[in-house]
Order: sequence, then C-alpha cells, then structure tokens
Amino acid sequence: MNARTRWEQAFAASPEAHKRSVNRSGIEVKPLYTPDDVRRGYAEALGFPGEYPYARGIYASMHRGRSWTQRQLIGLGTPEDYNARLKHLLEKGATAISLIPCNSVYRGYDADEVAVELLGTCGVVVNSVDDMQRALDGVPIERISCGLNDPTPFTLLALLLAVAHRRGIPSAAITGTSNQSDCLSHFVANHMFFRLALPGARRLLTDHIAYCNQRLPGWNPLSVVGQHMQQAGATPAEAMAFTLCSAIQYAEDCRARGMDPDAFLPRFTFFFDISISFFEEIAKFRAGRRVWARIARERLGAKNPACWRMKFHAQTSGADLTRQQPLNNIARVAVQAMAGIFGGLQSLHTDSFDEAFSTPTVEGARIAVVTQNILRDEAHLADVIDPLGGSYYVEALTDEMEARIKALIAKIDAAGGMYRAVEAGLVQRMIGDSALAFQRSIESGEQVVAGVNAYQVEEKPEDYRVLELPERKSIEAHIARLAKYKRERPAAAVRAGLDALAAAAQSEKENIFRRVVEAADAGATHGEICACLRRELGFGQPLCIV
Amino acid sequence: MNAPAALAERIRSGDRRAIGRAITLVENASPGSRALRTALAEFVGRARVVGVTGPPGAGKSTLVNALIRELLARGQRVAVVAVDPSSPLSGGALLGDRIRMGEHQADERVFIRSLASRGHAGGLARTTGEVVDVLDAAGFDTIIVETVGAGQSEVDIARLAGTSLVICPPGLGDEVQALKAGILEVADALVVNKADLPDAARTEAELRTMLELRRRGPKTPLLKTVATSGQGVAALADFLAQRPLRPKSAVHADELTRLLSRDAFGAHLGIEFVGGAEGCATLRLRVGPQHLNLWNGCHGGAMFSLADMALGLLCNSRGKQGALIDAHMTFSVAVKEGDLLTAQAVEVSRTKKLGIYRSDVRRQDGTLVASLTGTVYLADELSPR
Amino acid sequence: MPERPPKVIVTKIGFDGHDRGSRVVAAHLRDAGMEVVYTPPWQEIAAVVKLAAEEDADVIGVSSLATDHLLVPKLVAALAEAGLGDVRVIVGGIVPPHDEKRLLEAGVARVFHPGASLDEIAGEVRRLTATARAAREGMAP
Repeated sequence: MNARTRWEQAFAASPEAHKRSVNRSGIEVKPLYTPDDVRRGYAEALGFPGEYPYARGIYASMHRGRSWTQRQLIGLGTPEDYNARLKHLLEKGATAISLIPCNSVYRGYDADEVAVELLGTCGVVVNSVDDMQRALDGVPIERISCGLNDPTPFTLLALLLAVAHRRGIPSAAITGTSNQSDCLSHFVANHMFFRLALPGARRLLTDHIAYCNQRLPGWNPLSVVGQHMQQAGATPAEAMAFTLCSAIQYAEDCRARGMDPDAFLPRFTFFFDISISFFEEIAKFRAGRRVWARIARERLGAKNPACWRMKFHAQTSGADLTRQQPLNNIARVAVQAMAGIFGGLQSLHTDSFDEAFSTPTVEGARIAVVTQNILRDEAHLADVIDPLGGSYYVEALTDEMEARIKALIAKIDAAGGMYRAVEAGLVQRMIGDSALAFQRSIESGEQVVAGVNAYQVEEKPEDYRVLELPERKSIEAHIARLAKYKRERPAAAVRAGLDALAAAAQSEKENIFRRVVEAADAGATHGEICACLRRELGFGQPLCIV
Repeated sequence: MNAPAALAERIRSGDRRAIGRAITLVENASPGSRALRTALAEFVGRARVVGVTGPPGAGKSTLVNALIRELLARGQRVAVVAVDPSSPLSGGALLGDRIRMGEHQADERVFIRSLASRGHAGGLARTTGEVVDVLDAAGFDTIIVETVGAGQSEVDIARLAGTSLVICPPGLGDEVQALKAGILEVADALVVNKADLPDAARTEAELRTMLELRRRGPKTPLLKTVATSGQGVAALADFLAQRPLRPKSAVHADELTRLLSRDAFGAHLGIEFVGGAEGCATLRLRVGPQHLNLWNGCHGGAMFSLADMALGLLCNSRGKQGALIDAHMTFSVAVKEGDLLTAQAVEVSRTKKLGIYRSDVRRQDGTLVASLTGTVYLADELSPR
Repeated sequence: MPERPPKVIVTKIGFDGHDRGSRVVAAHLRDAGMEVVYTPPWQEIAAVVKLAAEEDADVIGVSSLATDHLLVPKLVAALAEAGLGDVRVIVGGIVPPHDEKRLLEAGVARVFHPGASLDEIAGEVRRLTATARAAREGMAP
C-alpha cells in the first residue's frame, strides 16, 4: 500500500471525512492538496514577480520594496470639518489624501436642493470651487496625490482643477485617481454613485479618459470596481469576472474612439473587496491578475507591459462585519487585510470595527490603520513576496478560480458584452441570486457568523459608542454661504459655461468633460452641472432586479 | 349615508386611500365588495380600457411610461393596473412593474396599482375586471392593464379592454412563431417597440407577412414606437382614441342600453339607463307630474316599475330570459315631484333556473326610498322583439 | 377563503443606493408567501405615502444603511397626515442605538439590525399585518 492510499483510508475512517466544504464561489474544497493538484509548470502558470503573467505580483520587489499605500477614506460635515481632519492626518505623515463627498453630492445635488437632516452625515458637503478651496486649505495639491470619490460627470476633479487654477498650479502637476468612475458597477450594484442614464454616463467616462490622457499625465481617470458588486452579494469569482468584463468594455470604447491601448491602459486601475473567505480571496487576486494580463495582451493587443499589470486598491468587506459583539470585527478586518496583502494589493483601506452600527468614529478609524501597521511591522507579512505561492492548495485554488472567472467572462461575452448584459439585467440577477443564497446559508447555520448564528452573548447595544453627527448649525451656515456664493459670482460667465456644457452634450462629438472643467472654473456648482447633464443626457433611473 | 355609499363617494372625489382600499375589497371579494360595486355601478363605463401585453423584455413598462406621459399631456387622468405572477409554490409575489414607471409614481393625476395573479390561469388576477371598474368609477380617463404575455392572458385582456396591444421587441425569432399561435387572434394592434434597433425592420417585415397570411378577421394594424425617445407614442394615443372604450361583448352598458331601448313601457315612463357592470344594473327616473298619485307624491307603481326594470335588465342579459314570478316591495320614504330616483339591481343569488334579485331605489341625497326583492325564473333566451 | 397575503412595500428613502439588503428581504418575503411591492432607492416621502395609499399596504419596510433612517420620522408623520396611520413602518439596516430609540418613539414599529434573521423579519411582518388590519377594521374604510 502506498502512502497516499494509506492516508486516504485513515482519513475516510475519521468522522469528519464526509463533511463537504464549498467556498463562496461554489468551488468544492478538498481536505488535502498534493503535488498532483498542481499540473502546470512554474514558468507558464506563475513566473516571477513583475513578469507576465504576474500571478506572483505585478512588481519585481512588491511589498518587500515598497509597502502598500494606506489609503483610508475620509469625509464628513462641512469643508472646514473635513479640512481639520485632513490636516491632522497630514501631520501624522499621510502621503496621500482621499475625499468622500456627502451622499447628496453623490446623488448630484447641491446642499440647497435636499433634505437638510442628511447633509454631511456620511461625507463632506462640497458644491463649489469655494467649498473645495476651503476643504483643501493649506494642502499642497501640487505634491500630494488625491483620491476623489467622484462618479460621472467628475465634478470634484473639475473643482480641484479650478482650485489649482486659482493657486497658479498647472494641471499637469495634479496627481491622483478618480475613484467611482466605473458607471457599470454603479448601475449594477450600487445605485448610490449613479447619476446619469447609462448611455450618457458611458460617453462621459470615455470623454473623461480622453481628457485626462491628454492633459493630466499624473491622473488615473478610471478605477474599475469589483467592490460594489461583491458587497452587493456577488461571489468573489463573479466580482472578479464582471469587473474584468467592465474593463474590457471601457477599453473597447476607448479603442472605438481611436485611442491607443498602450497609452490608456496603463492608467486603468482596479478596486476590489476582500471578504473573510481567506484562501479564496488570495486565489481571486492571483487568478485575476493572470486573466487580466492575458486579456490586455492578447485580446486588447497592448504591447506595453504596464498595460498587462492589474494594479488594485482593496477594501476589507463591510458586509462581513457584525453589529453583534462589534469588537470581533477587529479580528475579521485583520484576517481580511491579510488575505489582501497575500493577494498582492497595491493599496489598502481597512474598515473600522464600528461600521456595522455607525459612521466610523475616530477611535475605530485609528484601530483600522494600526491593524495594517501591525500586520506589516509586527507580523512581518510584507517581508516575502507572494509567500503562499507554491502552496498546493493556493495554486490549485488559483487555477480553479481562474477557470470560473473565464467561464463567467465567456457568458458575458455571449450576452453581447457588459453593457448589453447589465441592460438586460443578467448580471444583477446573478448577483441577487448569490446574495440570497449566501444569506440563506447563514440562516441555516451552514455558514457560521460569530455573534449572529453562533457564539452569541447578552449585549447592550445602547452602550456602543457612535459618531456624533455634525452640528446642524454649521450645516445651516454652510447652506447660507452657498446662497451667498450663488448671488455674488459672475452670473454671465456661469451661464455661458453651462450653455457650452449643454451644447457639448447635444453635439455628440465634443468632449463633454472639458466643458465640465470649464463650467466649474467659471463658478458653476456641482448641482448645476449635474442638473444640466441630467436634462441633456437623462437621469440615471436604476434598473432594480429582484 | 350607508358605508358602501360613503366609500363610493370618497372614490368619486378622488380620495386615493379610498380607491386603494376599495380595490383591495373587490380584489379579495371581501364582505362588502358587492354592495360597493352596486354603489359604483352607475359611474362605470366611461373610461377607456387598454390592455398591454407582450413577452418579457419587450419594453412594456417603458412604453406604458411613455403612453402615460402622452395621455397626461392630453389632459387625461390615467390609472395603471400592473399584474405580476404569483409564485405557485409560496403564493407570494414580487410586484416590480411599477418600478419602471418611476417617472410617474408621484404624479397626482396617475394611480398605479399592482396585482398578484394569485394562480389565476389567465395570467390576469381573477378580479382584475372589478378592479378596473373601481378605477373607472373613480373617474380615470384611461385605464391601462399591463401583464406579462403568458399565453392565456391576452385572451383574458381582450375580454376586459377595448383595445388590446401586443408589444413585440425586435429580433423575436422563434417567439414570432409563438405569437402566431395565440396573441395575434386577439390583438387589436401590434406594436413594434424599440423600433430604432437594427433588428426592428426585419421583425416588422415578419409580422406583416404573418398578418397577411391570416385569412379571417379584421386587418390588424402594426404600429412602431421607440418608447425611450417617445417616437410613435402620439400616433399610438391617436389610435387608442378612436377605439371603443371596452370590448363590445363585455360592455354590459351597451347590451343593457340595447335591451332598454326595446322596452316600450320604460320609454313611456321616461326611465333612463345609467350604468351596468357584472351582476349589477342601474336606471334613473326624474319624477314628473305624470308620475304623481292623488296626494302629489310619486306613485308607488312608478317606483315599482323603475325597480322592476333594473332587475329585469340584469336577469335578461347574458343570454337568458327572465320572468318575474314573485316580488315584494317596501316603501320607506315619500318622494316628491322633481326628485331624481335611481334604482340599482343586484343579483343576490342565481342558480341555473332561479335567480333572486334585489333592487334598491334611492333619492338624489342617497336616502333609500324603496326596496324590491324578487324571484325570477330563468329560461334560455327567446328572441326578443 | 384563505387569509389574503400581507401586502408589503420594501423601499429606500433618502440618498443611499445600496440595495442588497432590501433585495434579499423582498425576495425572502415573497418566498414566505407575501405580496411585495419593491421600489428603487431614493424615494421621496410623498411618493411612498402615495404608494402606500394606492397599494393599500399593510407594512412598509424601509432599508437604511447610510443615515437615511433620520428621515423615517418624517415618513411616519406624513402617513398619519394622509390618514394612513394604520400602516406599520419597520426599518432595517445600520441604525445607531440612540437613533433606534428615537425611531421607536416616532412610531416606527420595529428596527432590524444587520444579522437579523430573514424568518424573524417575515414573522414580524405577519404579526404587524394582523395589527394593521385590526386597526383598519376599527376605522371607516
């Protein structure tokens, strides 16, 4: 009897032998992996870090050379509130900043158009160039990278450029990323960032990429987002596959505009969710890199290796966090972050433990950042590149995830591409089914969630500390200031800017985003620009599929 | 005023809550629904009922949205009944059609009600007809009934709507064959929506060929729309405007008017037809000098005739001829010259041969002045003169 | 005649668009035998009131993940104003504890937090439907 058969018999005799284990993407996980599970050769399947097909990482030195960027998203209250928190972070040594606007801004409105109760409760209220000036007061935008949560029509970038203009900073010196520019993911999974009807949003995004490629060499115009879809319930394999399908669609739109893939693809970035399904997430990132490298080289015909690298920011999954025993979330976030780090991310946002019941408190946000420091500096997770590479399990799972991802991409291709598939509701239906199936597995107890369906304790939620919302008075003063701003700005220039914007939208040829930048510079507000384009290009009515 | 009459009045005044509650009453055939239908009967028969059906993905809701916009612009008030299938397993239903009519959700001139089909074979809820009558009585000018095209539902809709529209998306392929089987027989018009898509011309050609192959029946028009841009929607509204309000076969009003016009005694007394719905008929009489008795009150015989005639209309419809074999009338309040009397007859019970009917006579202020209960022997229809 | 199914509206008011929770709950209530009217996010309060009247709803479920629950007291007041005080309102999502108290005081029947079981939600909707209908019996139709 050989050793393998001996083990098989011994294992079959154990009481646990017949328990099946299936991961979130539907892959059955075996009790043991051996060299027999890894069939492909090293060079073909893995290669070296920084080399095609990048399974082991997109850079030669990875985290050993340079740590990932710690990018915590912030935004709350008035521009002054935000500025104070920003300065605090910069004093602590932050090298990049982010801006999350208020949900009213996401929805495309100014502060004077919406219910006052909600203003500033989830992000900063920025409507005009004056607001942006206050938000970035004392911040050296010519030297610091800005991540803006800024969906179509990218008004925050336009306001940032207007601030640069006032400060005499050339736009070429501005660096950063338009986060949330992926209109497909919003349409499918996260209506929050969806402002314009899909055809209009699609055109604006292509205009935006074209504009940034020509004039803002330091700016990443596109972040393709898998995070929304996975948060909406997509399995890790689905989230990766659909995200790559969106990237293909955007790349093809750019090519149809006559742009060169070797010029625009290096500026594509990705943004993913990291669930607590530890090995599955690591395999998702490793497989995703390999699939994207092939798509970029073979399907999109890019010759520049910079195009083949799937650069991504990742965020730990809020959907895995529980309101019950909230401190447990610190452990969850640590495990999620580890999966992301082993998966080879470039930038990381760790969630605060208190997000399941409140907008994050200062203490919650601090622990989230420190979690990253502990993993890197105390646990030394960054010392070895792709430390799980070569694990029979991780390599076999990476292969299986790759097969799932490719099959899903083929399905979307067969439906006519990502735009067609989302307009028909195909993607939404698959994600909705996965969300319901996952919830049912929690209900049945098949998927254990500590504090929710197992290991419960008596708790007093009223003792949880939550974030104090901004003072109503300062918000009301902010609205009054907006009214004053609108009265005193050069009305004729604003009118002309908005008219030119409407004309560009009607023209079908002109670059609309260029007119957004000019209108913002002339003094038009975010709400006015959005209203103009809603009129011209249609409101983003969500397609809700249950 | 009694409860059904009070509810009816609120419905007539456009009280949204009352209309919503009344629909639930008739939808579920709850106690009180029959009395309510009686109270509403005289106001039924004025709305244009339009059925919209077609396969999933045809853009029905988007087209209905565009049609609502057009009808509002023409000064109408519009109601929509959106029917979604119930799950055969759980009995539950997700009513999502009104999602896609988001644009008009908040408009005061629009009333949208979702119904679950509750396992009714036709794909329409069993009580859709009664729901439509409530909306009709509430004064909506057009009532659109939208269902997923699922075989039988088109036939059901045809019984309810003056116009049945079948919406065809471009690129139907095999589904055109399925269309041929059932839908075309009842469609009053085919609408090729998304007519701007490349496949539209081919679909149109295929449908035209199919219509030409059909030998019998009137020629079915084929309309083209692009619901998202509104193209062709005005033409569709024009088409609807020249169609009958309800289908001939189902319009009790038409049948009852016809029957009444042949009743010489009714004409002699000056009795007018007001309205009718399933199981209910309403007539009216203005009390003149020729109806008065010795004491200048309305003659009991005139009131008996009014009540009897409403009852007679009801039992003589639907292919039966009724003969009143026993009746009893109670008079409660005196009626004077100039009063406007309304008699509403309802079917209390009906077997193959015998029907029991009640006919209430009310004054213009709603007061019950007399009530007749009668037993009718029902024979198969002899040819009326 | 069997008891007619509960009629439930599942909706989102305010600015947020995350609808995973509302979709999962709506699908589960359907599978539990209820008639569920599902709306897209960003509903205006007046539109929800109109919807409740037109659909003759028993229960309205509002999903809130990003402070939109702060608007729910306005919804409850607007329902009462429109003579729809018998319609029960429940809230599900991320609601800080002190806000939960405020919502309950404003007339919200129940607040569900992340981790609530679908069956528990369905059971509560059934119970509230019965109370809504009982309240309605006492009122003029």
